[in-house]
Amino acid sequence: MHPQRSTPLPALSRRSFLVGAGAIGAGLALAGCAAPGGAAGATEISFYVSKPEVIGYFDTLIAEFHKTQSTVRVIRDSTSNMSADFVRNRPPDLGCWNYNFSMVQFVERGALSDLSDISEADRINPDIKPLLAATADYPGRTSVIPYSLTAASVLYNRDLFEQYGVAVPTTWDELVRVCEVFLAAGISPFFNTYKDTWTVAQGLFDYTVGGMLDVSAFFTKLKTEGTAVDARSAVSFQKDFEEPMTRLGELAKYANSNAASRGYGDGNLAFAQGKAAMYLQGPWALNEFAKTNPAMKVGTFPLPVTNDPGDLKVRVNVDLALWIPEVSTKKDAARQFLSFLMQPEIQNKYNADNNAFGTTKDAPPTTNPALVGMQQYYDDAAFYLGASQLIPSGIPVANYAQSIALGSSPIPVLKQIDGDWARLALRS
Amino acid sequence: MTSQISLAPPSTGGERTPVNGDSAHPRARTRGERFNWPVTIALLVCTLAVLIPLYVTLTMAFKTTAQAVDGNAFSLPAPFSVDGFVQAWTLTDFPRSFAISIGVSVISVVGTIILSAFAAFAISRNWNRRFFRWSFYYLLAAIFLPFPVLALSQVKLTGLLHLDNPIGVAILHITFQLGFSVLLFTAFLRSIPEELEESARLDGASTAQVFWQLIFPLLAPMSATVGIFAFLASWNDFVMPSLITSNPALQTLPVLQQIFQTQFSNNYNVSFASYLMAMAPAIIVYLFTQRWVMSGVTQGAIK
Amino acid sequence: MAVVTPSQVSRKVHKPQRVGATYYAFLLPVLVLFSLAITLPAIMGIFYSFTNSVGFGDYYFIGVINYIALFSDPTILGAYGFTIGFSLVTVAVVNVAAFLLAIGLTSRIRGKVALRALYVLPMVVSGIVIAYVFNFLFSNSLPELASALGIAPLEKSLLANPDLAWVAIVIVTAWQAIPSTILIYIAGILAIPSDVYEAAALDGASGARQLWSITVPLTAGYILINVIIGFKNFLNSYDIIVGLTNGGPGTSTTSIAMSIFNGFTNGDYSYQMANATIFFFIAIAIALLQLRVTRGKASV
Repeated sequence: MHPQRSTPLPALSRRSFLVGAGAIGAGLALAGCAAPGGAAGATEISFYVSKPEVIGYFDTLIAEFHKTQSTVRVIRDSTSNMSADFVRNRPPDLGCWNYNFSMVQFVERGALSDLSDISEADRINPDIKPLLAATADYPGRTSVIPYSLTAASVLYNRDLFEQYGVAVPTTWDELVRVCEVFLAAGISPFFNTYKDTWTVAQGLFDYTVGGMLDVSAFFTKLKTEGTAVDARSAVSFQKDFEEPMTRLGELAKYANSNAASRGYGDGNLAFAQGKAAMYLQGPWALNEFAKTNPAMKVGTFPLPVTNDPGDLKVRVNVDLALWIPEVSTKKDAARQFLSFLMQPEIQNKYNADNNAFGTTKDAPPTTNPALVGMQQYYDDAAFYLGASQLIPSGIPVANYAQSIALGSSPIPVLKQIDGDWARLALRS
Repeated sequence: MTSQISLAPPSTGGERTPVNGDSAHPRARTRGERFNWPVTIALLVCTLAVLIPLYVTLTMAFKTTAQAVDGNAFSLPAPFSVDGFVQAWTLTDFPRSFAISIGVSVISVVGTIILSAFAAFAISRNWNRRFFRWSFYYLLAAIFLPFPVLALSQVKLTGLLHLDNPIGVAILHITFQLGFSVLLFTAFLRSIPEELEESARLDGASTAQVFWQLIFPLLAPMSATVGIFAFLASWNDFVMPSLITSNPALQTLPVLQQIFQTQFSNNYNVSFASYLMAMAPAIIVYLFTQRWVMSGVTQGAIK
Repeated sequence: MAVVTPSQVSRKVHKPQRVGATYYAFLLPVLVLFSLAITLPAIMGIFYSFTNSVGFGDYYFIGVINYIALFSDPTILGAYGFTIGFSLVTVAVVNVAAFLLAIGLTSRIRGKVALRALYVLPMVVSGIVIAYVFNFLFSNSLPELASALGIAPLEKSLLANPDLAWVAIVIVTAWQAIPSTILIYIAGILAIPSDVYEAAALDGASGARQLWSITVPLTAGYILINVIIGFKNFLNSYDIIVGLTNGGPGTSTTSIAMSIFNGFTNGDYSYQMANATIFFFIAIAIALLQLRVTRGKASV
């Protein structure tokens, strides 16, 4: 904006000091006014995308979009506080965000505009609609257009598996044996990163729950219980999640010893360096490994939590969905960019480049070798939405999962989640 | 309180001209010029607690990414690298974020000094009026008001008034400094003899003239103290700008440090270079003004 | 410093027949700004605590249900427990350390000016930034150091231990809060007339005895001020915790301020406004209690 203002002011008399202060103030005021307006003639829209792995990718897409037309200029935003933006009635004109608990408040309070009348809405794969509705729904509206679907399971180091002659496990007992083999060889079976709580929720928590329970049936029943969720209700966290959480605790024993102080970035680095055999992350991490170790061979398999291979399923989530807020004054411009992003050659390329699955009826199947291990489960619809993604964000489930991973006994924690659920039902 | 401090006899002959106006040695039991070496050494050892985090910030910032990631914070950079700064400079758009941080701080400092000096002058000269007295208590209450209670409604209001930008942040910074600053100024104004004011009035000066020509210059030492506190509170604030400013391109330096926790979580040298760039201006300002910080605060506390 | 009693201020005010309009003009901007930026938001917050608003969009009144839910919520009660306990410990740590350092820094030491400048320096460093620096030290450097030295209990990061993570927060908060506390204590200690010590020394009082019988009682007002201001600041702790533990492990270090801010991003706006309202009244009660105590004792 005015970088020259940053040079130190010359020796200050009070008067020059005040003048300088006034100038900076005026500069800021101008900057504040100028920012929303922008280049003459073109409509400037703000586009929110915060997924750290793909911010650069979208910058390239924005540049391409700017080349194709000159009426809409896109400003990317990756740092705004979304709730604050909605509260002050200045949300981004187009949002591109993970469709999970964090979207519930915007969808269910009717803050997102209806997109059912745009042509892209008809191209969406109907199988995905129930996934959207299970997370959040506003009756009579198409609040979001799903953009990218990811399937997550265990990522494993193919070279290490080969070197130690172990096969991909399909039952819990086999998994434990695999872990013992690596442990005996002095290799950490899993690399866990408890410092970033979302990684615990996404990996250990969701995989153990999804591998044992019918997640969507559980939450459907749970919603009918409302404020009555406790030890005596038909379903509850303390009854249904105890077994998966026990498994979680057992798996945590096979993790790196410093898991408690490692974060997502540390995990990506360590796994790419071959410091562990398995890593509970989604395909979004694959490109991060490539930054450290481009030649790395990674495979995927669903985490076996029971001894019945028929229970194997993968976790899916609508990794990115597009939406336009009701209060946006630039809906047409936003829709124009949305249509650009939804062009098959752009959307399919995004999903191929980022190891994700498409969301349209005509999306091609994935050819990525790292994802082949999941394709069959995906085709058979042997997948579930992550349980942690369906629990409202008022309940700090990732923190609870972290404390179980760190050794807390599951039952008191699960009782607390039941209580939180009942209180939330009471007040909403 | 008495003005004991500045009038006390210079009993500690061993010292040069005291910088902080405290030549009086309160525990002067021995008349000699001997230093208390055990205490000096103990204090020197304890400075490690201050210095280690700063040393770590400094060395980490000059490492290469490969060296920084080994986790050993105490080793010296080998090889010496300024890559971290180059990257942090672009990632935080340093010239711009620095200018915005400075702008917010300057508005906040100037606004705090002028507005609270105004209010303190009005209050202290009309203390016998209920309106002024109660206004004082009203402002004072803010010292005890927990900030989180207000933040979310402030987001709404600043949005309504189109102040969801650095100007709005500066205004809120001023508001939060008002209570404490009016308190300091009011206390200081008591020490200014009213006779001065009366003679100025006899010469026909208006209240505003009395303030600008007589009182405000006399308030200078306390203005320095108030200003320093306002600067620190504003420069280092993280919560307010992160919530209030809607345009991410207008964000201040401390808020931008967050991106290193997620997006660039493994480039520790870049993070630390950025931390250093956020810390350095305040530290430099402090090094040049520390004698006023010391004397201002100590005097303010005594008045 | 902080407490100005009416009698002190009014001592010299003569009796003007009319208050000049200028005085009102001087005071009004402050009152208006203050009312708009502080009082109005406070009232709005209380209003929303009786609704199910998420901060935008549709909402309706739900009476006191948020308050009922609040009082049975172990996470919220845990946040109160943590915040108050942490504040008490930190107030004690900060004041004892700062008081001792202030005594050291006012005694006959070599390099007094430089030492004072150094001890006050952390005051100018941003809380969130220094918390990130300490986060790195606690998560990476100290465990490495401990395993290199073979100190097993310290090999695990302090921040990852649910029972001890609060200690890390106390350390960093104290690191940042001690400097300003030292400044006020230095002022207080310097304000003690030196002849008091001389008389005590003639009576043969030891150094420890002088500290306990002279320095502590004569700086009581300053101690109270530091305790009041410190406690109030620690109750509002937010950015240092964000930078260190983000409320974890589990929810063990979630402060009240943090749960209020989190509620905002988590679609729990009205619920956390109820929490904020309760917090507000608790803070006022603590302030009144402290003022009451202060009025009795401090004549600063």
